[in-house]
Amino acid sequence: MRRHLITAAAATAAALALSSCGTTEPAADDAKSADSITLTDGTGAKVTLKNGPAKKVVGTEWNAVESLISLGVAPTGVADVKGYKAWDSAVPLKNDAKDIGTRGEPSMDTIASLKPDLIIATTDLPAAAVKQLRKIAPVLNLRPADAADPIGQMTKNLDLLAEATGTTEQATKLKKEFEAKLAEGKKALADAGRDGAKYAFADGYVTGNQTSIRPYTDGSLIGAVNKKLGLKNDWKVKGDKAYGLGATDVEGLTKLDEDVHFAYIGNEDDKGSNPFTGVLKKDKVWTSLPFVKKGNVHRLPDGIWMFGGTESMNQYVDSVVKALKK
Amino acid sequence: MAVTATAPATRPSAAASRTGAVAVTAALLLLVAALAVVDITQGTAAVGAPEVWKAFTGRADTTDSSVVIASRLPRMTAALLVGSVLGMAGAALQAVSRNVLASPDTLAVNAGSYAALGIAAATGISLPFLASSGIAFAGGLLAAAVVLGLSGLGAGTVRLVLAGSALTLGLTAVTEGLLQLFPQETEGLYKWNQGSVAQNGFDGVLQMLPVAVVGLVGLLLLARKVDALALGDDAARGVGVPVRSTRLTAVVLAALLSTSAVTLAGPIGFVGLCAPALVRPLARKLRAFTRSRASLPLAGLTGAALVLASDVLLRAVVPSDVAVAVPTGVVTSLLGALFLVVMAARVRDTAGAAQPDRLRIRSRGVFIVTTVVLVAVLVGLTVAAVLVGDSKLLMGDVVNWAQGRAGQTVSFVLDTRVPRVLAALCAGAALALAGTLVQAVTRNPLAEPGVLGVTNGAALGAVLLVTTVPAAGSWTIAGGAFAGAAVSAVLVFGLAAKGGFGQNRLVLVGFGVATGATAVISMLIILTDPFNATKALTWLGGSTYGRTLPDVVPLALVLAAGLTIAVVRRTELDLVSLDEDTPRLLGLNLSRGRFGLLVLSVLLSATAVAAAGTIGFVGLVAPHAARALVGRQHVRVIPVAVLLGAILVCVADLAGRTVIAPAQLGAGLMTAVIGTPYFLYLLVRSRR
Repeated sequence: MRRHLITAAAATAAALALSSCGTTEPAADDAKSADSITLTDGTGAKVTLKNGPAKKVVGTEWNAVESLISLGVAPTGVADVKGYKAWDSAVPLKNDAKDIGTRGEPSMDTIASLKPDLIIATTDLPAAAVKQLRKIAPVLNLRPADAADPIGQMTKNLDLLAEATGTTEQATKLKKEFEAKLAEGKKALADAGRDGAKYAFADGYVTGNQTSIRPYTDGSLIGAVNKKLGLKNDWKVKGDKAYGLGATDVEGLTKLDEDVHFAYIGNEDDKGSNPFTGVLKKDKVWTSLPFVKKGNVHRLPDGIWMFGGTESMNQYVDSVVKALKK
Repeated sequence: MAVTATAPATRPSAAASRTGAVAVTAALLLLVAALAVVDITQGTAAVGAPEVWKAFTGRADTTDSSVVIASRLPRMTAALLVGSVLGMAGAALQAVSRNVLASPDTLAVNAGSYAALGIAAATGISLPFLASSGIAFAGGLLAAAVVLGLSGLGAGTVRLVLAGSALTLGLTAVTEGLLQLFPQETEGLYKWNQGSVAQNGFDGVLQMLPVAVVGLVGLLLLARKVDALALGDDAARGVGVPVRSTRLTAVVLAALLSTSAVTLAGPIGFVGLCAPALVRPLARKLRAFTRSRASLPLAGLTGAALVLASDVLLRAVVPSDVAVAVPTGVVTSLLGALFLVVMAARVRDTAGAAQPDRLRIRSRGVFIVTTVVLVAVLVGLTVAAVLVGDSKLLMGDVVNWAQGRAGQTVSFVLDTRVPRVLAALCAGAALALAGTLVQAVTRNPLAEPGVLGVTNGAALGAVLLVTTVPAAGSWTIAGGAFAGAAVSAVLVFGLAAKGGFGQNRLVLVGFGVATGATAVISMLIILTDPFNATKALTWLGGSTYGRTLPDVVPLALVLAAGLTIAVVRRTELDLVSLDEDTPRLLGLNLSRGRFGLLVLSVLLSATAVAAAGTIGFVGLVAPHAARALVGRQHVRVIPVAVLLGAILVCVADLAGRTVIAPAQLGAGLMTAVIGTPYFLYLLVRSRR
């Protein structure tokens, strides 16, 4: 037995030594420089693109990926492709992007092998990882969300991405469409007599037999869009500093006004993310809520990414208008 | 026997008899009732005491009364049920294993249920409550069966807890890995890991009630036989008690009880360990409570009081909307940790040093061959770890890189990969060495930096820094980790040092500190940055992700120093690890040397945590495995353990980087996944 082990170890070492000669990449040569672009990212760092607008872009967060697709840039690498397809079908991936791993720990090796011109990261990544990514390619480090100015943060990120990829015209068009969509939605809701209507958006999930509900406060992107539509956010809970999300349970829904319109988004691929049509059907607290009794609960279509970009929000506006017009 | 429940030392006085027992029970009942009433009036809805009163007298509006009926009352009853069930399960397990550390937490029942549910959640299948309870139950029972099967019923209690802790670590790591990989799907599960008694209506409680009743009645029927076990196995057989079947039945019933609690409210830590520990001093004072028939229900009541008090405390101190996000289990863990530490410091620790596990004497040849093979494996592994990853390289690339002539991609890949490999190797070696030292000095087979709370203290320090100073650099984080490790080590060893590291006291205090630190970490994440769990989990799951060469420097220096000191002091280690008396007979005073070795092991663990996160398990497994391979002499154990530790973490890191590439798994998770089966195999092999 032991002799076998020694032989095996020796053989392994020999095999490794023999098979691992040669190189996988020729020695380096200098790239030529063209017209360079300099940007300031969300952390205030200066980012220089030596060869003009980036063509091969990698995104580690889905909001950036969505904005890239909207801008007409097919991302070369995307974190957690499967998850993106499940949660953001509003702006589907058109190309066959390479999966670079999870959003929390994108694989350095894979990103390096794609040889991107630009990497879009967010401040949710550990600083050490961003530092390493900068060695591969220029990194735009974005603030993913800001509860003080959610829409402003979203368009700021869109503009940055547009500048970096040379698609500023498309960005202007997207922002115009978004503004127009907000105005159109506001008007449609006013026409339907819903101006100033009390409204509350949430998502929820079930674990074991507890239901957690996440209120989207004014500091969330969805909350800010609701405000623009002339709806009055009825949540009284505090949200976090970045995404503007609070926490409550079914009991907490009793604090909502009885005239409130309650809307939520679930996901068919993730059954635990939809308590409202599941466990709550049997929950006495839920069924006794005045707005539930009145039928003012609206399920909006799956696949609208609540933290996404202008196109997700356009679809959100459409779906809210459609739900509240009834 | 390292950790055995002590039989009541003094004869209970005759005066304190039945009346005392009745008074104690009545007082507890009153306390539980008062807590229950307060609990009903707390929550996120504006339903306070007056509205509750109206609801009970049928004068409230429908919403208020449905809040009371479908939310408050279920929560209160769930707290009562879960607490009492866990208390009883813990008491039963401790009685049959004669082990004060046996509890649903340490026997991996909770971890098994949680892992089963985590796997179910990650596959994205949403299950009705009954099905998910079935899955959790299966997982919990399976885990308990594995632990008991491996440790052998009636065999050494140390082995029982060893197998249990090992499996708990492994299963928890699997679940945490799932959390890293499926953050969306398992979002709620992270909170659930800490357990919360909130309920959607009475369904869950009603489904669990019969199970709890069956368990309780079964345990009470068994009570006399369980009492007989306290006399020792042979004595129990002498009075005609079937030892094996009694143990088996009691354990199955306890597992049934604790999995029912887990499915109802998630793993609420520490109640099963704490409640019986609180009842034990009473048994010394009041004769009535020396019988299981009386002490089991009392432990149940104590458990209920613990859980209810935690829930009430949480909702009273924290604003209701925030309280929703904080799991009950965090509070029970904190309360329990505090209790445990206080108890351990006060308790008279009669358990002496552990009997050294019997090992075969190995020849020098065996040692040499083992070392040579391990070195060869390590070299091969290091080469493989550098070449294999998400993009494969060849030797020529490495040569180019070393000479600074490599292309951009190759040099980048190696620049990020080599530090990771080095961090893994050094962290593994350092943790193994720290574990060896701690086990020698404390003469406690369960002692290791993880179990003693040192690594968790380090992690807490690091997370505190990450949450307060988001832009903290790697050196600051390392400093924070070290401060945390130092504080928890001073706490644990300081409290346990009274009367020379009593076995039970050390592990109990360590356990308390470890769990307390984990609870605080969870609380910090949930309250300050709920959507950055990935970052925190990554850091806590033990990962070499994003490591650079400067991060590895302090670890490498401490490791070199530690190895030198350990080899120089090898004789001292051998003597210290024997027993209390031999060194004294030889006229040696070892307390100062012990202290120095402990400081060294803390330093080793803290730098390892700072460089690679909390990698559990290595400090526990490597020394045991090394002793099994080459015997007891430290001059042989140290190199083998260090090599094994380095190999284990390096394999784990390599696997974590490649198995599900491009996604990654933390090294700490993989060490547990790789280490658990090996460790269990070792346990089986040494059963002869």
